[in-house]
Amino acid sequence: MFEMSNRNKRRDLIPNVKGFPKWLLYALLSLFWWGIFGFLGKIGSDRISAAQMQIFLTIGALPLVLGCIIRLDFKIATHKLGVTYAILMGVFAALGLLAFFAAMKSLVGPVTSLYPALTVALALIVLKEKVGKAQILGLILAIASIVILSL
Amino acid sequence: MAEWVTFSIAAVVCWGIMGLLQKLTTNYISADSVLIWDRVGYLVLLPWLLGTSHLNNMGPGDILIGTLDGIANGLGAWFLYASLENGAKASVAVPLTALYPLLTVLLAVLFLGEKPRPLQWLGIALAVVAGVLMSREAPAAKHVDEKL
Repeated sequence: MFEMSNRNKRRDLIPNVKGFPKWLLYALLSLFWWGIFGFLGKIGSDRISAAQMQIFLTIGALPLVLGCIIRLDFKIATHKLGVTYAILMGVFAALGLLAFFAAMKSLVGPVTSLYPALTVALALIVLKEKVGKAQILGLILAIASIVILSL
Repeated sequence: MAEWVTFSIAAVVCWGIMGLLQKLTTNYISADSVLIWDRVGYLVLLPWLLGTSHLNNMGPGDILIGTLDGIANGLGAWFLYASLENGAKASVAVPLTALYPLLTVLLAVLFLGEKPRPLQWLGIALAVVAGVLMSREAPAAKHVDEKL
């Protein structure tokens, strides 16, 4: 069921920048925060267990959840398919994190960031996304860099 | 097989599937709603984690690091969902944001005094070039309206 967007009523966190697509700005901000997440995860995994890290990581994100609820004026989407995908995604993300923290125990830079290769394969098969030449080269270089950074 | 290899493969498979689900869910609901519902998925595992862990050996510093890590992880996730919501392809945004170990390594150099080997500097340079190449790709579509 389609209903009018809540999105239009919500304030975007970043302004429009001419010549710089908004999706790219958001992606770079994601990269920034995950860089800090990886750094803190590395420090934390040296001190406590993977399960302990996961418990406090889950708790730590709860204020953000509250912020999102407020931004939505308490009108959280209940679209069945969207919600099912999101919850499943959370379960897979949390399981992946547990394995990530456990891998961090044994190796300084685990190769877990190779996961985009699987995502891209699934996006091509399931979502029928088309991949450009520059992007293929970028993906190959990204995988090579991740492997090198993990050595 | 070494333990870290098993854990790494498990993480790659889980996060690979997660990347696809990220795009699928942002086709239907907004970044804010996705963050709310995906954390429900995290909470599903919490009783099991609490039942199998001892928390009495943790100090305030450990708790602070774990909690701050959760905030950074949540912010990173929200911005990725916003990127996908604003039309980014999964096959572009997911590999681009997965370059975050680049920043992790730089932070480790700055704050932990780690010194990358020449090969790792090559990895950093490749990551920058890869990021530029992947970000040249046009987005897939306009953002989606929230479906309640």
